[in-house]
Amino acid sequence: MKEEFTDLQRMFKRAWRRVSFRIGTINSIIVFLMAILGPFIAPYPKEGWGIASPETVERGVQPPSLKHPLGTDLLGRDILSRILVGAGYALLQTAIVILVSPAIGFLVGVVAAYYRGFVEKVLNYFTEIFISFPAIIIALALNTIIGRGLTVIILSLVITWWSWYARITYVRAREVREMDYVVLAEISGVPGWKIILRHIIPNSTTPVLVQAITDIGSVLLEASSINFLGLGFPAGFPDWGVMVHEGLLYIYSYPWVSLIPGFFILVSALGFSLVGDSLREELDPRLRRRWRLWF
Amino acid sequence: MVLAVEVENLSVGYVDEGEEALWAVRGVNLKVLEGSIHCIVGESGCGKSTLGKAIVGILPPHAVIKGVIKIFGEKVVDGDKTLYHKSRGKLVTFIPQNPAKALNPYLRIGDQFYYVMKSLRNYDKRRALEEAGKLLKLVGLPDTSYLDKYPHEFSGGMQQRIAIAMALANGAKIVVADEPTSFLDAHLRLQILKLLDELSEKLELTVIMITHDILMASKICDHLSVMYAGLVVEDGKCKEILKNPLHPYTKMLLKVVPVLGTRKKLESYVGEPPRLDEYPKGCPFYPRCPDRLEKCLNEKPPIFRVNGRLVSCWLYGGEYERT
Amino acid sequence: MNVLSLRNVTVEYREWRGFKLSRLRALDHVSFSLEKGERVAVIGESGAGKTTLIKTILGLLRPVEGKVLVLGTDIYKLPKKKRHIVTVKIGYVPQSPGKALNPKLKVKTTLLEALEKSKVSEEEALKRVEEAIRLVNLDPSVLEMYPDQLSGGMQQRILIARSLVNNPELILLDEPTSALDVSTQAQIINLLNIIHEKLKPALLLVTHDLPVAQYLADRVIVLYRGRIVEENTIDELIRNPQHSYTRLLIESYL
Repeated sequence: MKEEFTDLQRMFKRAWRRVSFRIGTINSIIVFLMAILGPFIAPYPKEGWGIASPETVERGVQPPSLKHPLGTDLLGRDILSRILVGAGYALLQTAIVILVSPAIGFLVGVVAAYYRGFVEKVLNYFTEIFISFPAIIIALALNTIIGRGLTVIILSLVITWWSWYARITYVRAREVREMDYVVLAEISGVPGWKIILRHIIPNSTTPVLVQAITDIGSVLLEASSINFLGLGFPAGFPDWGVMVHEGLLYIYSYPWVSLIPGFFILVSALGFSLVGDSLREELDPRLRRRWRLWF
Repeated sequence: MVLAVEVENLSVGYVDEGEEALWAVRGVNLKVLEGSIHCIVGESGCGKSTLGKAIVGILPPHAVIKGVIKIFGEKVVDGDKTLYHKSRGKLVTFIPQNPAKALNPYLRIGDQFYYVMKSLRNYDKRRALEEAGKLLKLVGLPDTSYLDKYPHEFSGGMQQRIAIAMALANGAKIVVADEPTSFLDAHLRLQILKLLDELSEKLELTVIMITHDILMASKICDHLSVMYAGLVVEDGKCKEILKNPLHPYTKMLLKVVPVLGTRKKLESYVGEPPRLDEYPKGCPFYPRCPDRLEKCLNEKPPIFRVNGRLVSCWLYGGEYERT
Repeated sequence: MNVLSLRNVTVEYREWRGFKLSRLRALDHVSFSLEKGERVAVIGESGAGKTTLIKTILGLLRPVEGKVLVLGTDIYKLPKKKRHIVTVKIGYVPQSPGKALNPKLKVKTTLLEALEKSKVSEEEALKRVEEAIRLVNLDPSVLEMYPDQLSGGMQQRILIARSLVNNPELILLDEPTSALDVSTQAQIINLLNIIHEKLKPALLLVTHDLPVAQYLADRVIVLYRGRIVEENTIDELIRNPQHSYTRLLIESYL
């Protein structure tokens, strides 16, 4: 495991040379800070959490001004505060999905690759079926069963994304399984689960890791879409996707209500994508290039 | 006698984004006579493949080059400028190591010939297919139905023949073959070598063959260059070198290679060829050389001319010196 | 008693193509045996069935016909989980070190793995590992390193060391020198012969390289398309090849 760490450190240093990576990383750090500190530095914390009061209603919707740098929404709530609190939710949804889906997918992929035959076939069937599920349709279906909320968002995204990681892992784990060091372990009598732990898992993590990092941006976008369609969090909730949804009807009269949260979604997703892309470039062609030196 | 390829003080390295270049070829001089079969022999990491690719003009984008390469007198590499458009594909062609990689798996053989000939010689389809048929016949595949087949329908040996035919499709007169037989079974190797020999005579080609197998090279070579750690350590007529190797490394190569039918003792030399980033000062063979002198440790030997042969070794300092 | 004995072994690969079952015979009624201390080479080129042969001997591929006897035991009569009890006496040296050494494990861990199922103590295991490393002319400091810190020749030696850790009766080598430079190849050939002199295991070498087999075997078995086409002592085979394929092979090396 120590090896993984220094590998990642080296990758980071090299990727840092690229402008896109620097932009992406700084961007992501800002979003991260917003998520942690947001609720505390928001100028109108209560409004940030979506609470409308007679005061805000009286205020009404206002364009950006000194008092409200990002303006106010249709119920008079300060948009800046809502954005700051919403950052945390954006990261929360994304983080849970990005941590859970690859974990599930990875395990399925490894097990399918090691235990060939029936287990392999069944797991592969499942993987193929789930790969084609669109998250939004699942969200719709879940709405009828459990209503709305964070669970819906997480469930629909995890159900659709895990199979992708399962397939990526399966391909690599299959290669690893054919390696002679696995054969050597088998003839030495090492039991299956130990082979998986010692040989298959450590050598199959790279593709999933890279893919997961690259997918952060996309997951954020999909989660926001679910909220934007009104399938996730309820109205008024501090979530950027919900905010876009709220301002949609008045987009020509009060464009900032939708466009500002939309902007934040876009830029955050972009930032994460830039980080992921640079890291992936480090991992793949890097390895390919190195080997050429000896031929 | 015309020089097909002339290489002067060539160095080729690979750069890893912002890091130092690692030099695979370090100041190589080479003269290839037109119509000859010239073999470049060496172990892995000696730079022979890189040298071959530099001559053809197919180095990867992260490669850096210094020195001069002339093809039929025309400069295609001058300093750090490359002018490969003059020679690549037109004057010099390439047969890669792995025949499966030479052929596009999605196109029929006939179409592949067509695209190649269309782009460089502007042939129309009918003429291209006619030529392709002739080339395939030359390499021992006279069945014209092969033009309609896909590469995967052929065995490894046949794929290599097709790759050779394809390399000749542009009418280039200089062929660089990079380990053309290493992916083939042993009993096919001799056939491919003989084929290259025949073609070189029939079509008046200059063949530069890159290989790690000195015995195989000895079967068809006229001229031999032995490479070690990015340098040419010995260069001369093939038969003479085999009979009387001068450089300690060449001697080692010949002593260490198992020959069928003899039970000569295989001498073990210690050590392995140096890695690109561990290039020693002085003569690169110093750590493993049984005949080394003190000055070999710190001073890189220049090239000496000994009875028509070129040797880069201090043991021969005293005859003519040459840079 | 023979160290290894194959009797009429036939191995097939089956593939379902739509509704048809296609069978590929990788080994066809192969029979041969090895006695204690013998050095035998199986010569075959690509497609001859070398990999299949190795997997079958190691207990990983059940033949559809025939028996595989390792030290007198029919290994396919044993359940898969128990086979290692017998196969542990076979030292297997795989082909390319790049695929045979787990890059995430230290050399020490890789070597100790071979002793996992044996009932030796930790100290005894470590002692045996160090002995094996010394037998292959490597310094024990190499135990703390990772495979990618070592050269190709050293990696191959580590694989050989691993095969020696269990005091094997039979060492099975899959193309032990094909991935190496000629100079390293000579080192490994000489090393293997020294080991054979010291420990006297039976050696079964599977390779396409006839000149190398010359140095590592007394008897040669020629495999072509899954069948044994010729068997003889190495000198006789070279002097007087019977089968046309053998002749073709020899010609290409002369």
